[in-house]
Amino acid sequence: MSGESNVIVSNEPWKKPLPNIDKDNEEFYEGLKRHKFLVWRCKICGASYWPKAYCQNHPNEPFAANMEWAESSGRGKIFAFNRHHLAFHPAFKDEVPYVYALIELDEGPLVSSTLVGSRLPKDVYDVGQRVEVVYEDHPAEGFTLPRFRIVD
Amino acid sequence: MPKHASSGQYAIIGLGVVAGPQQDRSERMVAAEAARLAIQDAGLTPKDIDGAIDLRRTGGGGDRASYVDAFSRVLGLNNCFYFVVGRGGALAGLGIATALSFLDRGIANYICIMGAVTDWSQAQESRKAGHRGMAHSEKAGYWGKALGDLRAVSHHSWMAARHMAVYGTTSRQLGAISVAQRSWACKNPEAKMYGRPMTIEDHQNSPLIAEPYHLLDISLVSDGGIAFILTTADRARNRPKPPVYVLGQGFGEVSADLWWEKKNFTHMAVPRAKAQAFGQAALDLKDVNCVQFYDCFTAEVLFQLEDYGFCKKGEGGAFVESGAIGPSGSVPVNTSGGLLSCYHLGDLTGMAEAIRQVRGEAGERQIKDCNVAMTTGHGGELISPGMCSIHTCTLLGRNP
Repeated sequence: MSGESNVIVSNEPWKKPLPNIDKDNEEFYEGLKRHKFLVWRCKICGASYWPKAYCQNHPNEPFAANMEWAESSGRGKIFAFNRHHLAFHPAFKDEVPYVYALIELDEGPLVSSTLVGSRLPKDVYDVGQRVEVVYEDHPAEGFTLPRFRIVD
Repeated sequence: MPKHASSGQYAIIGLGVVAGPQQDRSERMVAAEAARLAIQDAGLTPKDIDGAIDLRRTGGGGDRASYVDAFSRVLGLNNCFYFVVGRGGALAGLGIATALSFLDRGIANYICIMGAVTDWSQAQESRKAGHRGMAHSEKAGYWGKALGDLRAVSHHSWMAARHMAVYGTTSRQLGAISVAQRSWACKNPEAKMYGRPMTIEDHQNSPLIAEPYHLLDISLVSDGGIAFILTTADRARNRPKPPVYVLGQGFGEVSADLWWEKKNFTHMAVPRAKAQAFGQAALDLKDVNCVQFYDCFTAEVLFQLEDYGFCKKGEGGAFVESGAIGPSGSVPVNTSGGLLSCYHLGDLTGMAEAIRQVRGEAGERQIKDCNVAMTTGHGGELISPGMCSIHTCTLLGRNP
């Protein structure tokens, strides 16, 4: 992954709900700021999870110490998506319609975010397009959000 | 297989329903009034009620049990316990399962199980600030909120979309579910949509909210309260109303297995719940006379029809399009109008209707000889991808 097209910088004041950053996902959000999409990986068997979980494949060390946040490819494919036509929150009024998609990462886990860029899928049953992560930096707010765009 | 020793040993003997907008009333008064009606319906007094369970969708969500006054205190019950149970729309099923352990050991003899909401009234208030839908009910903090995942429909619509992608289901087929349930609602004077028939064109022409979902794929936002009285079978005889026996219950969780298989966008956690409930009752699907599925959105009805085996997986669309679940169909589903067209009080909507059908109190929509009714619940955390993972199944019957 390289090139400016995978980074968006926004200096607009953030009027939407804030991302939920807590003790379990703080490192994930720190990764986003460094433009890395981290998944929660097992050091024993290599299985990837998101969000945080104990490994399902074998016994775990206390507090899942056998797991670590590790860089993913940031790539995957569209598993399902919808198109929001109604702004449930006033700060989304200028964004509708927006496409909110469930992405199956190449490492396995499902994650969700909106699709950005010029290529958007049309029919909700048309899934499987390859996507990659786009980092949306909000430097004044101190966080980065992941978006996805279709790459083929 | 013989039925389980617990099957038919407990019964519902009273039902209380407060329906319709309650904007001038508090939630606690709606709750207490529903309980008062249920106690009266059972031919009892508040002093006879020795256990109280409050059904709240936030039961597992971190809210304190006592953030409002307990309905048991307001009404003056003679209860030795009061606590909160619930997880999203899985309320009445969990309440019954919990109450049985108190009845079984003689800790209580008559338990009042109650759930109440004032979602509609609160939504009218939040509209003034530019919010739409149940603004107050979605907690800060789950994954997608900053990204525009603002309401249940924001991610539940993926279930419809994924089913369309995998099985070719269409929006018109989902609309057939709304139309069927509206037909039922038009036979139910208590339903919000009573007297307002709709066609498939009405569904297709209703605004897109989160595509593929139109407005008419989405359940109602309601005020109201429903309470019922649970007791042991021996105490249920010779009451004013015929007893409605608990024949079997079962539970399933998508986060146990389906999540990892990524099936929870086309399936619900039915297999274990079905096997447990029908196993306890020693019944088959063909013994069920009416079905009250949890129907927060149309696709949930479709999934459950397939997952319970009323039709094959992937064939739910054609099944509902044939009219199978409407008033003249072969499988009566959500005969009150359900959450889509009657009112949304979680799985209490279906539980109340199941009680009425088994009692023979369902008026114009009464199913002839309704000996067995099935009700389901569904709900959980709104974190994708593990969202809404619980499934509950309760079988109620006219005979123990």
